[in-house]
Amino acid sequence: MVELFFVDAKFEGKIVVSERLKKFLQEKKPQTIALFAAVQFSALDDFIFALETLKIKVLTTKAKRTARPLQILGCDCYSDSFQEDIIDKCDMIVYVGDGLFHPKALLLAQIGKKKNKMKEKVKPVVLFDPLSDSVKEINYKDIEKQLLKAKANVKKYMHAERVGILVTIKPGQQYLHSAKKLKEQLAAEGKKGYIFIDNTFDLGALENYPFIQCWVNTACPRIGTDDIVNINKPMINILEAFDPIKALENFG
Amino acid sequence: MYNLELERVISEIKRRKPKQVLLQLPDGLKQKAGMIADTIEEKTDAQVFILFGSCYGACDLPLGLDVLKIDLMIQWGHNRFYKEEW
Repeated sequence: MVELFFVDAKFEGKIVVSERLKKFLQEKKPQTIALFAAVQFSALDDFIFALETLKIKVLTTKAKRTARPLQILGCDCYSDSFQEDIIDKCDMIVYVGDGLFHPKALLLAQIGKKKNKMKEKVKPVVLFDPLSDSVKEINYKDIEKQLLKAKANVKKYMHAERVGILVTIKPGQQYLHSAKKLKEQLAAEGKKGYIFIDNTFDLGALENYPFIQCWVNTACPRIGTDDIVNINKPMINILEAFDPIKALENFG
Repeated sequence: MYNLELERVISEIKRRKPKQVLLQLPDGLKQKAGMIADTIEEKTDAQVFILFGSCYGACDLPLGLDVLKIDLMIQWGHNRFYKEEW
């Protein structure tokens, strides 16, 4: 049995509310911030104290899949991904870290909430990168293309008669039992499901199976939300496949 | 820039006494793999291997390590996560 050991690789610098961020906050005047971070940047006690000194209330929560509060993973992209819905209660979402993969999850997590069906209700996410001291905002526009494609893909799935279900052998993302359950559900609907197994999926190889009309991803959910814009064949995630009508309602 | 916690890693390897250790690093830290491997092999009796491929998160662990008789895998840049059942 292989033992496993994790090292956070915490950022060694001091994470402060820089002058640039302070100016941004003074312009936007948030009263309540929902704060999230990548694990490398999640030691934020001093940062939170500095925000509170600016008379800003800071809300934090724990994502269901993470080990610690504040931290967010790319798969925390559903409206029920957090112990407490601080996104709903805040007037600004702030993510501390670099890259776009994690903070985009905070946009995706707002889709499907009843009151957020209208795109203008999706709150933007402010990205603060302590490495470059940059402050920028991402918003609905940054996920619009993939959401439109995701919605179209669900409609195509509902009409597909031969469905390919992708299952990875990576233990943390392996959902063979869900794939089998979906195959049974499809059979009950008079459709045929084929389960495909691999380690990492080369999405270019989907073209090798032209008899598949729609793919269902059971691995990392971001494959079914982000990578779909780079492939021709429709693909949706397993949760949407179990209940496509609800998925369409969520997309609005 | 990032704390690789090599002292803790060495101490953990000495405590667990693995013969073969596999290092898994996200892309931003892969350039440190050689230095980490050198340090571990210099300071412990473990033989070190480096995973060539992806390291997208704690959910992205390789299989087949038993076949290669890997005793310990160390992943940087992530921490324990809780798999949600669907």
